[in-house]
Amino acid sequence: MAPRLRICPQCHHFLKHQPVAYKYLTTASAITPAAPPIQMTSSPPPIARYPRNQPPSHKPPEFRKSQLHRQYTSLLRSTPLLLLFQHNNLKATEWMSIRRELHSALEKVDHDLSTNLAPAIKIQAIQAGIFESALLVAEHYHPEHHRPASKPHPTDPSTQSSASLANTTRNPADPSLTHYLSRTAHDAAAPFKKHHPLRPLLSGPLATITFPTVTPQHMRAALSILAPKAPTFAAPTRRANPGYYDASVQHGLQKLMLLGARVEGRVFDREGARWVGGIEGGMEGLRGLLVRVLGEVGAGVTGALEGMGRSLWVTVEGRRGMLEEEEKKRGGEES
Amino acid sequence: MITKHITEVTTRFNPFTKPSKTCRVFLAHLPANARTTMKINTTVLNRDSQEPSFLALKFNVLVEDGKEMQLDTEKLNINDVVEEVDRHSRVLNRQADLAGN
Repeated sequence: MAPRLRICPQCHHFLKHQPVAYKYLTTASAITPAAPPIQMTSSPPPIARYPRNQPPSHKPPEFRKSQLHRQYTSLLRSTPLLLLFQHNNLKATEWMSIRRELHSALEKVDHDLSTNLAPAIKIQAIQAGIFESALLVAEHYHPEHHRPASKPHPTDPSTQSSASLANTTRNPADPSLTHYLSRTAHDAAAPFKKHHPLRPLLSGPLATITFPTVTPQHMRAALSILAPKAPTFAAPTRRANPGYYDASVQHGLQKLMLLGARVEGRVFDREGARWVGGIEGGMEGLRGLLVRVLGEVGAGVTGALEGMGRSLWVTVEGRRGMLEEEEKKRGGEES
Repeated sequence: MITKHITEVTTRFNPFTKPSKTCRVFLAHLPANARTTMKINTTVLNRDSQEPSFLALKFNVLVEDGKEMQLDTEKLNINDVVEEVDRHSRVLNRQADLAGN
């Protein structure tokens, strides 16, 4: 039978190797294609009431407060070294010039150590109350210790519609939600509300400077700019860095006050912060010092343990020498 | 807070104690150009220091006889301190007005 639909002669060679398509083409008007077998056995997954990347949170997520909380939590979890300052009515130009000086000092350290940390070290003003809450969540909430998210997840395409799901509704109290804004996180941090050692510092206008790793060299550079104290943290000389003696920088620094530091979860005061910044040679220097101390201890221990044996050996050798000498004398007398 | 009659601020506190908040917030209440119009001495104590915090103010000598004000920040909160300072500053304001300055 001749094809019912006319096919242009140029297209004919496309159909030559596809006899099935050719056949469908002939009967296209009569047959509706069946649904694929996967849709016959399982229906589409149930609809989650929220997108996967926007789970319900304890406080409304569209508020600036919530987003700041999230930002501070992530900042605190990623920074092992943090300096806390109070800023008393600094002007925008003063902030700007202080940031400029800080950046140039840090870049100098980067250049000496051939690292690239200066762009990641930032001074920023924080909201004390939200920061305190974020600090508690970052320290006391460990999502891995809480119940994992219920499986199967509603937005996962492999989930079957018959599966019973916990979190298809917008309910922030759902314990399967374990993100840092969740009610689970809030409840885990709430009992520690009044006991954090940094708590008395967290009032008034505050600014933090955060370091991505514990680097005493960078910290020393930052302290010598922001809170200079001779001799370890001497401010740069007027000849070395004339920009530091600009009126805007100096007026700004008078109003910036170092309060404390948080190093790897431990809280330090001003002197403690300066002690951390004053570690010679940075972490490498500290490790070298530790190795040296341990080596000395080892030498001392081996010396002490050897001492007994050695003195015994010396005594016995001395006695043997004496006996040998006596024998020689006796042999000489006999002969 | 009326700060234009203050000529000297001396304060000392241990930031790891609760009463230090009064001193710190008082410093934050001073205007941005305070360092040019008055003398500010701040001592930040160490964490284990037991010394009580205090705040001492001196007022303008020209208008009055340079009153010195000692504020016990262990007991007063920032609102009380502001109230005290304002009460005295208003008197100085009135005297300055009457003197025609």
